[in-house]
Amino acid sequence: MKIMNVTCNDRDRIFEDGTLAEWTALEAHAASCPLCAEEVRAWKSLSVAARELRDYSDNPSFWPRIERALAEAAARNAQRAERKSWFSFLPSFSPAWRTALAGAFLLVLTISGGWILIHRPVDPGDNDKSLLKSSALKEVESAESAYEHAIDKLAAEAKPQLDDPATPLLANYHEKLLVLDSAIADLRAQAGMNPSNAQLRHQLLAMYQEKQHTLEEVLETKQ
Amino acid sequence: MGTMGLALPWKARISSMPRERGTRVEPSEHFAGGPSPAVVNPLSEDAALAAACRSGDVRAYERLYAMHGARMKNLARNVLGNPVDAEDAVQETFLKVQRSIASFRGQSSFVTWTYRILVNTCYDARRSRLRKKEVANDDSEETPRHEPRAPGAHPALRMALERALAKLTRHQRDVFLLYEVEGFRHAEIAGMLEMTETASKNTLFQAKKNLRLMLEPPRSSAAEAR
Repeated sequence: MKIMNVTCNDRDRIFEDGTLAEWTALEAHAASCPLCAEEVRAWKSLSVAARELRDYSDNPSFWPRIERALAEAAARNAQRAERKSWFSFLPSFSPAWRTALAGAFLLVLTISGGWILIHRPVDPGDNDKSLLKSSALKEVESAESAYEHAIDKLAAEAKPQLDDPATPLLANYHEKLLVLDSAIADLRAQAGMNPSNAQLRHQLLAMYQEKQHTLEEVLETKQ
Repeated sequence: MGTMGLALPWKARISSMPRERGTRVEPSEHFAGGPSPAVVNPLSEDAALAAACRSGDVRAYERLYAMHGARMKNLARNVLGNPVDAEDAVQETFLKVQRSIASFRGQSSFVTWTYRILVNTCYDARRSRLRKKEVANDDSEETPRHEPRAPGAHPALRMALERALAKLTRHQRDVFLLYEVEGFRHAEIAGMLEMTETASKNTLFQAKKNLRLMLEPPRSSAAEAR
């Protein structure tokens, strides 16, 4: 067999990735080159030294330990699979399909919610109690009108005394009635702008009642 | 560090024939009665073992252990430095294989995949161990404490080699252990460490160069001077 020629410069390359033929050539070269002979010897000695790191002594209890751990893990997996099987009636979809379905469900939910919100029946109990509805308003306005007429009659009876007050008390009643009339006029103006406001109607009623009591007191003074 | 002369009595036992490129000396050639090497198994056997493990057959895992358990433990011990941590790492590797076997697609051999899990598990264990004691002392991640093991032929050499290995980079140490100690081929190591075969060869070369410098000062410089 013809041996190829190698030099000291080829040594590292052969150590790293030499072919059998190159190693043979290096061995042949090393026979006449002490430096390469020493390097080849040291290089191979490392491989021999590596054998010192082999310890394949057996531990008889090691496999049973691994086997036990594997069995326990398998049992846990089986339990998990059993729990999962409870939901097996649900069809299994890919993540993309699951996302699409969730999106569609959300869309349907939003549209349904919007539709219900728009078309829900009006519950009068939910509305502001201070606002009078049209039927109640008519009732209040007619009662108010009748009450006002009755007070006007009372005022007409008391008018002679109030126009020419004989006593300071009557003069005070006259002043009070002027203030009440002014307040009633203000409240009626506000109620005209906001007829459904029950609060204004209550205040107006209180003013009328006060005017009624004052007129009654004026008439009692006459008697 | 004290130097360890490699001109030792076993020099005579060193074969003058190097390993042929691509025809790696198998572990069975290194030691009689040792664990069966993965490469001896035909691919179909590797696939059959993977399929049996995937089916949840505990006997398949037992077969994997019988074939590779001792080598896995030895590798873990050399990375982690003690047999207790090594056994924990091997057990964890079997559990991870069981957990992840469904995702094994066969891009590499099943055994190569298993060793990749083992190597990663060992380094996870090292990191976790380091985190636990990093405040307590200044132990470097790269210097695991090696506990005494069964006496070999040259305990002093072994200890020197362990100390020197601890000073290598992670990849250099892994490649040296897998190639020189466990007897894997570069193609297999490339699969285990997710590197190219060329990178594996280069890393081994660098590892051995560094080990040589640490264990035996180069006499060549003096000789070259002459």
